[in-house]
Amino acid sequence: MPKTLAEMLGSPMLAVATGLGGVMGLLSFNALFCIYLERKISAWIQRRMGPMEVGFHGMLQTVADMVKLLGKQLITPKGIDKPLYHLAPLVVFAPVVAGTSLMAFSGSFALHHIDLGLVLVFTFGGFAVLGIFMAGWGSNNKYALLGAMRSVAQNISYEIPLLLSALSVVMLTTSMGRTVTVGDETVAVQGLNLFHITMVQMDRNVWFIVLQPVAAILFFIAVLAETNRAPFDIPEAESELVAGFHTEYSGMRFALFFFGEYSNMLIGCMVATTLFFGGWSGPLLPGPVWFFLKSYALMAVMMWVRWTYPRLRFDQLMRFCWMVMIPLSIVNLLVTAFFLKVF
Amino acid sequence: MAYLGRILHGFKTLLTGLRITGRESMRKPVTLTYPHVEPKLTGAYRSAIKLIRFEEMDSHDCVACLACEQICPSFCIKIDGGKIEGIKKKRATLFEMDFALCSLCGLCIDVCPTDTLEYSRLYDEAGYDRDWNMDLLEEFRDFEPTFIEQQREREEKEAAAKAAKKAAAAKAKAEADAKKAAEAEKAGGDAPKSGDAPKSGEAPKSGDAPKSGEGSAS
Repeated sequence: MPKTLAEMLGSPMLAVATGLGGVMGLLSFNALFCIYLERKISAWIQRRMGPMEVGFHGMLQTVADMVKLLGKQLITPKGIDKPLYHLAPLVVFAPVVAGTSLMAFSGSFALHHIDLGLVLVFTFGGFAVLGIFMAGWGSNNKYALLGAMRSVAQNISYEIPLLLSALSVVMLTTSMGRTVTVGDETVAVQGLNLFHITMVQMDRNVWFIVLQPVAAILFFIAVLAETNRAPFDIPEAESELVAGFHTEYSGMRFALFFFGEYSNMLIGCMVATTLFFGGWSGPLLPGPVWFFLKSYALMAVMMWVRWTYPRLRFDQLMRFCWMVMIPLSIVNLLVTAFFLKVF
Repeated sequence: MAYLGRILHGFKTLLTGLRITGRESMRKPVTLTYPHVEPKLTGAYRSAIKLIRFEEMDSHDCVACLACEQICPSFCIKIDGGKIEGIKKKRATLFEMDFALCSLCGLCIDVCPTDTLEYSRLYDEAGYDRDWNMDLLEEFRDFEPTFIEQQREREEKEAAAKAAKKAAAAKAKAEADAKKAAEAEKAGGDAPKSGDAPKSGEAPKSGDAPKSGEGSAS
């Protein structure tokens, strides 16, 4: 069983401080790295070179951008709903930190070890919608409000296939083995425990993407929609809505939204890694390395997707969700349940 | 079934899209890292005019005829110059072009009698004033006194060669005349036509020899 940070350090307060620091460090690095990666991947796809000037092959470009954002004036528009406007970036960013700390990135070490980890991750994921809507409503700007409304409609719709496809994996986990033997101890499997999901995959020597390919694809598409990534980036469609919900935000407030988006991507990819790609399992390299390798490979695919497809129209987006994603995920769930019951 | 078929078809087209972008991302970028590398200009590239540096005189050959100044539809060329003391050749002492006005029509290049104008290969010039005067003589200015000195020498040599040629021609003519006179004396005024023929054949021969010798020496 993974040891939690509190057990290792012996003091909950110390564990909170260290864990928070670690997660913030990881997310900051992730945002900087992902922006760089995104620019590079978009450049390669369009046969450009991307940032090349700042640092070796432009590696310090995002650091320079961050310094620029830190130095920017924070513009507060007139007529805003002050508490909502000021709270929104935090509401977007804080759940992300909490969500990241639940991840099962190693078999021997965890920040938290909760049996309902998967549920909690999705709960925190749902907060992002709230933050985005607060930003859109509080900004007193029609574009921001339109973007926020689109975001809410989209996120709530796509949460259904997201949860349903995750649910089929949970069903699979619980019925594939009541217990898992790790080392010399036997663990009773909880289907919603992220660590247990990985352990079952390791125990059976199979990644769930092999058993649940449809669920994996649906999950990935739903994650794209949940994180407002292209081709589902309608909430911030810059050709129609200026910048969507963060139109009125500048400087570090805007940067927090950006942080939130990239962190949400990371969480989505980490959850997908856990559910479908065997989590930290892998030969030779230590667990966390495999975990992050897989996560960032998925991240690269997300960027690849973004720079390949054009943005959907809103009705296309909703039709795709309600006519394709949700029926397919329900059918997938029923088929999974049927097979689990019969065999 | 049609429903599932459409989904499958859509999925297939999505994968096709990913394959295309994936393939493109593996290819070499076409970016020109501009300040670090020089762009490849086409042969017909036109930029501000410049004066050609001729090898045999190591300078331009603008004789300040003002043909380009007069033909320029944008009135962007300003030339001053003329006779220089010490040499026969006319020279430009001022050749300015306002590149802000120039439309790169190339009439000046066509009209130049000494063919000393051509398009330059400048591609990243910038003007910082409303009138953007380019001094076309700038690169030649330091060399101009030396050029005048050399030109004087060249002209002197040329004059000497000419004089030598003239002298040789005169000499040949004198010789021919003498011969003719002698022949006439011998023949006693008979057959003046046959006496003319060797004269006209000899004269250019004797005139050629010193001329070509001078040419190779200079």
